[in-house]
Amino acid sequence: MITLTLKEQPRVPLEAEAISPDVMAKLRHDEIRAVPMFLGKRQRRLDDFFEVEGEASEDLEIRGDVGKVKWIGRGMTRGRIRVAGNAGMHLGAYMKGGTIDVSGNAADWVGGEMSGGLIRIGGNAGGQVGAAYRGSLTGMQGGTILIEGSAGLEVGMRMKRGIIAVKGSVRDFPGLQMKGGTIILGGAELRTGAWMIRGTILSLRPIPLLPTFAYNCNYNPSFLRLYAKHLQIQGFSIPHEEGDGAYLLYSGDAAVSQKGEILIWQPRASS
Amino acid sequence: MLRITGGRVYDPANGIHGEVKDVCISDGRIVAEVEGTGVRTIDASGMVVFPGGVDVHTHVAGAALNFARAMTPENQREAVKFIHSPELRAGIGGITPTTFATGYLYAGLGYTTVNEAAVPILSARHTHEELRDTPIVDKSCCVLMANNELVLDLLEEGETERAKQVVAWLIWAAKGYGVKAVNPGGVAAWKWGKDAKILSEPVEGYSKVTPAKIIASLAAIVNDLQLPHPLHIHCNNLGAPGNISTTLETMKLLEGYRAHMAHLQFHAYGGDGWNSLRSEAATLAEYFNAHPNLTADAGAILFGNSVTITADGPWQHLLYQLTGHKWGNLDVENETGCGIVPYVYKGSNLVNAVQWAVGLELLLLINDPWRIFLTTDHPNGACFWRYPEIIHLLMDVDFRRERVRKLPAKALKRIVLGDLDREYTLSEIAVITSAGPARALGLSRKGHLGPGADADVAIYNENPDRELMFRYPRYVLKGGQVVVEEGAIRKVVDGREFIVHPSFDENIEEYLRPLFEQYYTMSFDNYPVEMHRVEGADIRECG
Amino acid sequence: MNRADFIIYWGGNPADCHPRHFTKYTLTPKGKHVPMGRKGRTMVLVDVRETPSVRAADIFLQVRPGKDFEVITTLRALVKNQPVDQARVAETGLTLAQLQDLVGRMKNARFGVIFFGMGLSMTRGKHMNSAAVLALVAELNAFTKFVCMPMRGHGNVTGADVVMRWTTGFPFGVNLCRGYPRFNPGEFSTVDLLVRGDNDAALILGADPGATMPQPAIDHLARIPTIVLDPKVTRTSRLARVHITTAAMGISAPGTVYRMDEIPLPLRPILQSPYPTDEVVIRRIHEQVKAKPAWLPASFKKVPCA
Repeated sequence: MITLTLKEQPRVPLEAEAISPDVMAKLRHDEIRAVPMFLGKRQRRLDDFFEVEGEASEDLEIRGDVGKVKWIGRGMTRGRIRVAGNAGMHLGAYMKGGTIDVSGNAADWVGGEMSGGLIRIGGNAGGQVGAAYRGSLTGMQGGTILIEGSAGLEVGMRMKRGIIAVKGSVRDFPGLQMKGGTIILGGAELRTGAWMIRGTILSLRPIPLLPTFAYNCNYNPSFLRLYAKHLQIQGFSIPHEEGDGAYLLYSGDAAVSQKGEILIWQPRASS
Repeated sequence: MLRITGGRVYDPANGIHGEVKDVCISDGRIVAEVEGTGVRTIDASGMVVFPGGVDVHTHVAGAALNFARAMTPENQREAVKFIHSPELRAGIGGITPTTFATGYLYAGLGYTTVNEAAVPILSARHTHEELRDTPIVDKSCCVLMANNELVLDLLEEGETERAKQVVAWLIWAAKGYGVKAVNPGGVAAWKWGKDAKILSEPVEGYSKVTPAKIIASLAAIVNDLQLPHPLHIHCNNLGAPGNISTTLETMKLLEGYRAHMAHLQFHAYGGDGWNSLRSEAATLAEYFNAHPNLTADAGAILFGNSVTITADGPWQHLLYQLTGHKWGNLDVENETGCGIVPYVYKGSNLVNAVQWAVGLELLLLINDPWRIFLTTDHPNGACFWRYPEIIHLLMDVDFRRERVRKLPAKALKRIVLGDLDREYTLSEIAVITSAGPARALGLSRKGHLGPGADADVAIYNENPDRELMFRYPRYVLKGGQVVVEEGAIRKVVDGREFIVHPSFDENIEEYLRPLFEQYYTMSFDNYPVEMHRVEGADIRECG
Repeated sequence: MNRADFIIYWGGNPADCHPRHFTKYTLTPKGKHVPMGRKGRTMVLVDVRETPSVRAADIFLQVRPGKDFEVITTLRALVKNQPVDQARVAETGLTLAQLQDLVGRMKNARFGVIFFGMGLSMTRGKHMNSAAVLALVAELNAFTKFVCMPMRGHGNVTGADVVMRWTTGFPFGVNLCRGYPRFNPGEFSTVDLLVRGDNDAALILGADPGATMPQPAIDHLARIPTIVLDPKVTRTSRLARVHITTAAMGISAPGTVYRMDEIPLPLRPILQSPYPTDEVVIRRIHEQVKAKPAWLPASFKKVPCA
């Protein structure tokens, strides 16, 4: 295992895409210490900011508040990163495989355009979780993002495949222009599923809908059992028993399509 | 002073085809001989020496391209980056390079002169500002005229002489070099959501003006004004199946005039729908070969990402509907407009496969290399920095056939490329990339290495891999200065701009001023581009 | 001016903010193809409150604050004859009948235009509200000719946007720290940088963020070394470490201003100024910076980060 302990908070954001199992797996201790990082416009070394223990491992642990450290785990394909603290922007962006665990909060663009792997955030996440970078036609294309707390704007924007599950509530535009995949929300502010073409958004609490979504039916889809079982292992429970209630199924967004689905959980009225 | 020695020189304009001889340079020009001390020598043994490349038709600056940049941040993210250094400005290459990167990329390819092929007069000031920020290469501009309502209104009234005066005034106002006609009448009609598909039918909003009339009138005007570059024409019905008939009809209208047919590839299709699209390159080449009044550029496509940018607004709306991709449209009041759609050409797509073949077929079937030039209508068909891929395809028949075999089987029945065994020689490559376009543009100091020419020289390592050879020149000289060495920018020099000053009757301003006050949102006095905005203006008086 | 017979102003108050817009460009002029001038045009104003611009409008649609995106998205569906939920439409402050009427008028226009202001682009939904207008207008072109144009804010903001694009490839929100341009609004845009405190110095040109930005951003500007170039004393110049007085652009300094439609206009000074122009000051700063050793190592070639 390689342990990186932050010496002190950088004053401006530190760009550290080299903190990835793919980069570290074969490096000796002294090579790890010399890996380049970018502090503002200056190129620096990893050991300018971190105490380093260990070498040549696919298992990285980062200690300290790296909330200003960007691009951790960028494009990683394997191994594991644990962050004991907060993580900065673009955590696990373009990730293809492996696991990232963050105990604290994560900033914007968690898993931006990722295509595989698992990201778990113990606290809250910022905006654009699993989203497409500006201009790109496709966001997340696979993998799983699980967030214990809440998340910001544009969660799953233009996503095509994969799962994003947020226990708490998210801000506006979850599933914006979504093309596929599944988003599970503990609630949302406005404009859920705006301009979605395909895909499924599940909300466990009531949410406001755009006028361009039409109510279809009450529904307890069988595929949910599978999801529920899969996510239960990660500590996420999704209600799906008919005895407990049903999902109101809405389809839209009629501005662009009728093939997107929003499912809103309605517990059986307790008598 | 500089002597390039030991290289095989290709200077087809001066009848030199691969002889080992010295090229001498003094004060930025080619000279017969240099003597005395202080003569630097470049040993070009084992290398070939070309005149610097000339691109007759490209889109590198101005409002439309700049709009495309904003529309496609995803392309920029993936593009080659130019990292800031004491010598170089930061920039981005890729499909719509930033201005500085454009200069570096063209120079890096051995090109030293480029013609920006579509400049709206109203925003010409913007185009010149961008060209000023495009280093190393020399530049010229073709000004959009075939949908300008000031001109069309005069043609409607049969006032040909006054139309000529207006055209001349407009060229000078824009600080342009040539006249471009894009989809004559069609862009004007697009402002009403219409197109002009039939050359003999009146343009929307007019009763007498037809596309045919616009084409013939502009060709005559450009001729009368004695501009160094003939009318530069983008035919109606670009990209449409069966457009060969429109293209032939356009060329017939131009009999008796010199004209340059832009991106001919997009205008050489048969069939009556996307499913029956086929190459008509052979038909087109047959007519073209028999009509020496015409020159053309290929407008070849290569498979991969592109952004299509053209003043052809209606075509772009169709492309947007076909692809469901992003679409940008700009209308320029009273003058022109443009549409922008990102596009991916795929080898597996039947239509794209035919398009790919047509570009190469035209280059191979048009016999006279002095009349057909290498372009991709950058960035429409492909980026200019991919020219070496086309050179490879032209010079190596086996390689080309191998590529043809990879096309969808259905496409093979629609093209003739597989049957063509012509291979370009190095001399012919020097013609289609430099000598020919320089001559068509009327740039007497470009495209050759005779005494008096600008000392723009590209030196390549002789290499059987033609793509590699042309992608990384060993040296590039601009105005006698070594700007590229081993594929890297060594020195950044400023480029010049060629502009023409056609003679016109000053009284035409009295006719135009009230029209501006009535119909333009810009004051008459603000309209002409001030001379100080044009970098290193090289003015040619005409007529 | 010459063509549009149907004009929508959305989220703007041109009567106060762009006073010459009606008379010079859009409503009153007798256009080449609209010879009747004002009588030949229909003007619709969409806003959250009644402003002086209402007087100039034929139709005023008062939308509830923060509901513009809902309205435009509904219009996109209606343009394509798709069903919408009547009750949820009503929550926007407009009725389905009003929106259907608007769609009918848009489709029947000969040449339509939407001007959208900061009441749209700077309220909840922000860039998505602008994107909604763009999408609606693009889709209307299947029926008739329709265009749109943003009504930008003060100063030469369009010019900055245009020049940034040709020099860096991106319009705004550009970061050059890694030696080449990167773009990510939200991450690199000024207000976000300042609010998060991600920058440790600021050079401010042609803007007064001290008067317009949220308080945390202003607090950060006051904390770090801030340099302001401005002809006048402004809120920002008061909190700045350094204020360099410059000649006023267009009054005593020449230059180029880009109109909202990206048409460049020359500025000719009418007065002499004892102060240098912004350009002169920036060039002198740049010369000094250039003389310093390069901040990127010569070996720096890798571009791993998008």
